[in-house]
Amino acid sequence: MKPMLSPETVVAEPLVGKAKIEVKNLNFYYGESKALKNISLALPERSVTAFIGPSGCGKSTLLRVLNRIYELYPKQRAEGEVLLDGENILDRSQDLNLLRTKIGMVFQKPTPFPMSIHENIAFGVRLYEKLSRAEIDARVEEALRRAALWDEVKDKLAASGLSLSGGQQQRLCIARTVAVKPEVILLDEPASALDPLSTAKIEELIDELQADYTIVIVTHNMQQAARVSSRTAFMYLGELIEFDRTEKIFTSPREKRTQDYITGRFG
Amino acid sequence: MMGLCTCAAGVGLAWLALILGALVYKGLAGLSLSVFTQMTPPPGDAGGLANAIAGSVAMTVIAVVVGTPIGVLAGTYMAEYGRFSRVTTVVRFINDILLSAPSIIIGLFVYELMVRPMGHFSALAGSIALAILVIPVVVRTTEDMLNLVPNSLREAGTAIGAPRWVVIRSVAYRAALSGIVTGILLAIARISGETAPLLFTALNNQFWSSNLNAPIASLPVTIFQFALSPYEEWQQLAWTGALIITMTVLGLSIFARSLTGRREDR
Repeated sequence: MKPMLSPETVVAEPLVGKAKIEVKNLNFYYGESKALKNISLALPERSVTAFIGPSGCGKSTLLRVLNRIYELYPKQRAEGEVLLDGENILDRSQDLNLLRTKIGMVFQKPTPFPMSIHENIAFGVRLYEKLSRAEIDARVEEALRRAALWDEVKDKLAASGLSLSGGQQQRLCIARTVAVKPEVILLDEPASALDPLSTAKIEELIDELQADYTIVIVTHNMQQAARVSSRTAFMYLGELIEFDRTEKIFTSPREKRTQDYITGRFG
Repeated sequence: MMGLCTCAAGVGLAWLALILGALVYKGLAGLSLSVFTQMTPPPGDAGGLANAIAGSVAMTVIAVVVGTPIGVLAGTYMAEYGRFSRVTTVVRFINDILLSAPSIIIGLFVYELMVRPMGHFSALAGSIALAILVIPVVVRTTEDMLNLVPNSLREAGTAIGAPRWVVIRSVAYRAALSGIVTGILLAIARISGETAPLLFTALNNQFWSSNLNAPIASLPVTIFQFALSPYEEWQQLAWTGALIITMTVLGLSIFARSLTGRREDR
């Protein structure tokens, strides 16, 4: 546990510089049951925001609204506004495929496609860009380097993505997401299925990526939230309880429920 | 208890061994190159099964070419586009009935549908009857195999910006490929021994025929006819034909098993 900071020591910077994503009065329903209740928050550009909270609190649901992946399932619907650079992505006219090239997502379980390592990355790039073979190769290498995987796989790019270890597979998924040059990267408990060493690598990677991308991470691991994020949102039973700078949340939260959760009294 | 189970398993296997043994013993005696090169003979003459084998292969190929795309696409609808729809539940129920429908009913159906209006038996009608048998098998395996593809893989494909059909084509199909191919192979194995639907549709032909609009010979019908005949040469050819079909089905099944086996290894 970090030492408690007195409120005066917290630097009085604005909570959000330039907001990349602004969520306004968002409600979300699974059929009849309401999973998100009137959520409003702004995610700053080129930084890491963590969503924490006990299981079932709606943190993953909120993440899945941001790229509208929930649309794959009927009976799930969102009401309210989610603004990406000021444009409402919940709008009916929104081109979902194009939206998802701007907002990438990495899942809890590594999900390499059943193809070669090279193809795993080239697949997404080819969808919307007409590139020569050499350009594709360059993009694949660049993405694998960014994901700190290049040195491990450069001699076996034709091998199946499924032949890699769990940690490598997850970095392959990050590389695949980075390769399509998104603006936002959503991470849904990206390290929860990995060993500590792979987890450390992923966290290191997140730290590097925030220079170029707006990153949102859902995590069960509070130390991880404290390590990687600059803003933390604490959610409970579908409500946003508290959203603040990470060190504030972990040292002097405003709400008692936040305090109870981060000190492990429940959740 | 264990003794009883072992006994039951032994009895089951014994029948299989007896059948295979009899087939190999009786069939192998007549197996020679001429079986594959000569036509079915008139009674009392020597000959082969070339026209019957060719007819079977031709009708099976047409049935698979017609039935597979329909089956795969229907299975894809059920597992992908219509996963949550009521239509899928209804289609699945009807498909299961079709799957277990006696094949003679299919034969009669195609007889009414094609043979009677056309006024004669034909290879085409036989092929359609077999295609109707292929479809439910392929629908079922395609749907099952696509349902085994984890949703997380579809979400991953979608999350990268791929449209629905690209996710199905490049991700779901690839993940389910060996299973779908296995289903097609099992469908071929199923129809290659079917006799009843062909009796009402393709009938038989003593000679070589490449006309799809005319009756055509097939192995199962030839076996049926020859085995019931009093002529020794015909009976021998029936045994040999039975051996050929059995070995083909066995080969297909082993190949199908090896495909799924490799999938599980991965």
